[in-house]
Amino acid sequence: MAQQPKQQRIDPRARKCPFCLKAVPYIDYKDYPTVKPFIDYFGNIRQRYYTGVCLRHQKMLKTAVERARFMGMLAYRK
Amino acid sequence: MPELQATSEEQHVYELCVLIPYPLSQKEEQEVMKNVESIVEDAGGRQVAKDVWGRRGLAYKIGGATEGNFIVYHYELDPSAINEIDESLRIAKHVLRHLIVKPPKGYQIVAYSKKYEEWLKESEQEEETRKKDKEEDLRKKMIEKQKRQTTKKPAPVKQPKEAEKKPASGEMITEEIDKLIADDELEL
Repeated sequence: MAQQPKQQRIDPRARKCPFCLKAVPYIDYKDYPTVKPFIDYFGNIRQRYYTGVCLRHQKMLKTAVERARFMGMLAYRK
Repeated sequence: MPELQATSEEQHVYELCVLIPYPLSQKEEQEVMKNVESIVEDAGGRQVAKDVWGRRGLAYKIGGATEGNFIVYHYELDPSAINEIDESLRIAKHVLRHLIVKPPKGYQIVAYSKKYEEWLKESEQEEETRKKDKEEDLRKKMIEKQKRQTTKKPAPVKQPKEAEKKPASGEMITEEIDKLIADDELEL
């Protein structure tokens, strides 16, 4: 059997904010492709601990997701 | 894309997003759009940009509709007119949802209708490549399996040969031992 490569787990403390790396000033609720990876299967916002988003951008993300949910672009609950 | 800046200090640029049910006749659709535009323009708004997204699936049912059409406007408005517009949009016919947002400083208008389509194409391509990779992996595994089976087959053929040899050699040994015993020259 070919050995499967072991999955490398990234240390959550070493992970950097994906929005800060691109210096994002504002997260738009209309921008579905960027918001989608921060939502889990049930439609909840992923925790900061797992995604590595900084607090500033997590707050922006929260408002964006809430607006998108209201407009019917994202589900409240799956 | 041009950066947003109001012409005078008293006015601001606002973003207005309207959701319309999708299966509407073209006449009705245009009427709704005209109605919305007239509501804002009556309150003293000046249109900066307009973006029609077209057919989009909704995440949940709104007013019995499962598909909708988003229209994003950018208007230059007086802040005092917002309440009035909000009220009249709530009453307006065929407007499922509306949202008025004040974009932050340095916000650039992006045509999300195009961006979304591009993203859809990209994700489709990614899925196709993933499927191809899976198929290739399967093929490789099958080839390896076949190889292993072909290498295994000769192994059981060899064993009986060795088994045939062993009794023969045993007979030889007994014969030789008999000879040795028969020899009188050897003193043990």
